[in-house]
Amino acid sequence: MTEPATDEELAARPFDELVGELQRIVQALEAGNVGLEESIELYKNGLRLHAACEERLRAAELTITELGRRGVPGAEPAGAEEATGG
Amino acid sequence: MGIEQPTLWDSTQVAPRILHVSDLNRRVRSLLEGDPTLADVWVEGEVSSPSFPASGHCFFTLKDATSQLRAVIFREELARLAIRPTHGAAVVCHGRVRAYEPQGIYQLYVYDLTPAGAGDLHAQYEALRMRLAAEGLFDEARKRALPRWPRRLGVVTSPVGAVWRDIGNVLRRRYPLIELVLSPSVVQGPTAAPAIVRALQRLYADDALDLIILARGGGSLEDLWCFNDEAVVRSIVSAPVPVVVGVGHESDVTLSDFAADLRAPTPSAAAELAVPDGTQLPAILGRLRDRASAALLGGVADRQRHLEAERRALTGVAPDLSAARQRVADLVDRGERALGASLQRRRLTVDGGRNALRALGPAATLERGYAVARLADGRIVRSPDEAPVGSPLEVVVARGRLDTRVEGTHADRAEDLLG
Repeated sequence: MTEPATDEELAARPFDELVGELQRIVQALEAGNVGLEESIELYKNGLRLHAACEERLRAAELTITELGRRGVPGAEPAGAEEATGG
Repeated sequence: MGIEQPTLWDSTQVAPRILHVSDLNRRVRSLLEGDPTLADVWVEGEVSSPSFPASGHCFFTLKDATSQLRAVIFREELARLAIRPTHGAAVVCHGRVRAYEPQGIYQLYVYDLTPAGAGDLHAQYEALRMRLAAEGLFDEARKRALPRWPRRLGVVTSPVGAVWRDIGNVLRRRYPLIELVLSPSVVQGPTAAPAIVRALQRLYADDALDLIILARGGGSLEDLWCFNDEAVVRSIVSAPVPVVVGVGHESDVTLSDFAADLRAPTPSAAAELAVPDGTQLPAILGRLRDRASAALLGGVADRQRHLEAERRALTGVAPDLSAARQRVADLVDRGERALGASLQRRRLTVDGGRNALRALGPAATLERGYAVARLADGRIVRSPDEAPVGSPLEVVVARGRLDTRVEGTHADRAEDLLG
């Protein structure tokens, strides 16, 4: 299974990846073919992923980038609500 | 008629086939129906003498300078039309040509009727649609599924006006995790089509983009015309990511809509369709967490049951354990006994060996009457030439030594001497 990630690592990963990993953990737990210690580790990771997803949803703000209007591909952002990425 | 004239019955020619009127009309009808052009046709002309009988249908004649054509608009189509046919109006009719068997006439069954001026646009639209469709640009098989979890969404629309604001509002409410990239464009007027193509191309240069929305609010046919532009259509088709087109209202279907991977009825609907419903996500996440808890607790409960079952099984086999212990003790006893006997045997063997060794030793040999002759330097004599005449010899016997001197030598075999 994957190594437990730090909170920073979780925060940097795309939301859908976190949800996907949470789904895989639930499936692994439900399949029931992992040992007790591993189950507990999986469960802890699942809780952390769940918390990270909830936090992401709670704090989500639409980021908007406006491409330049001179028709140059990849032109510099020009909007008031400039994207912050991540 | 002359006698030499052949009658109908003895003619060598095949008899002419005589059709009923209805047979002929049916034949003409199927002939017309087999013609694909007549099945979907645009005809321009002038409306003459329209009539509106109680049936609710409309009958009129469509004519130009030299010809006329019967036309009918059924009640259902008539209700949908933007204009009613009026005497003398120049119109373009869209419909199909069929024969009406009971009367032996053919006529144009009209689905749509537009003023002749707009007819040019319609004809252009239809011609381009046919040509691009024939190229396969509108094939369903070409259309890509939208990503389930888009991260970065590009939008081509006008940066001013309700459409851009509506899209932002929908996304903010529905899925604010998305990164929105606006590629602004004019979406009306003669410069719109090339501007839209440029705006799309700017987005195509963004490798991180997951999908694109091309949107415009409602307007007249002419306002929306840029979305029927061939370059715009081809640019949509060439998009590296799926494109959702939401132009005008539900009833406005542009060629861009046909080219889109997904057609949305309105710009807001395009935004709704482009992203997952984030308002459901907390509930979905909660269910995942609950399932994880249930699975973990279930796993622990399973293990407890398993342990309990094993404990019971262990208690049940205890008498067998004591029997086993008895068996082990027996085995040990037998082992010890066997080992003792073996040691005893070995001791006997060792004693026998010692006796045998003793029998072979020099003392026993001397005791039996043999002697050992040694030179002055201690060497034992085995051959007469080792002890020349006159050499002193020490002769060792069982119970002492004799000092002697060699008087003579004889090379005889010991066996012969003792034999």
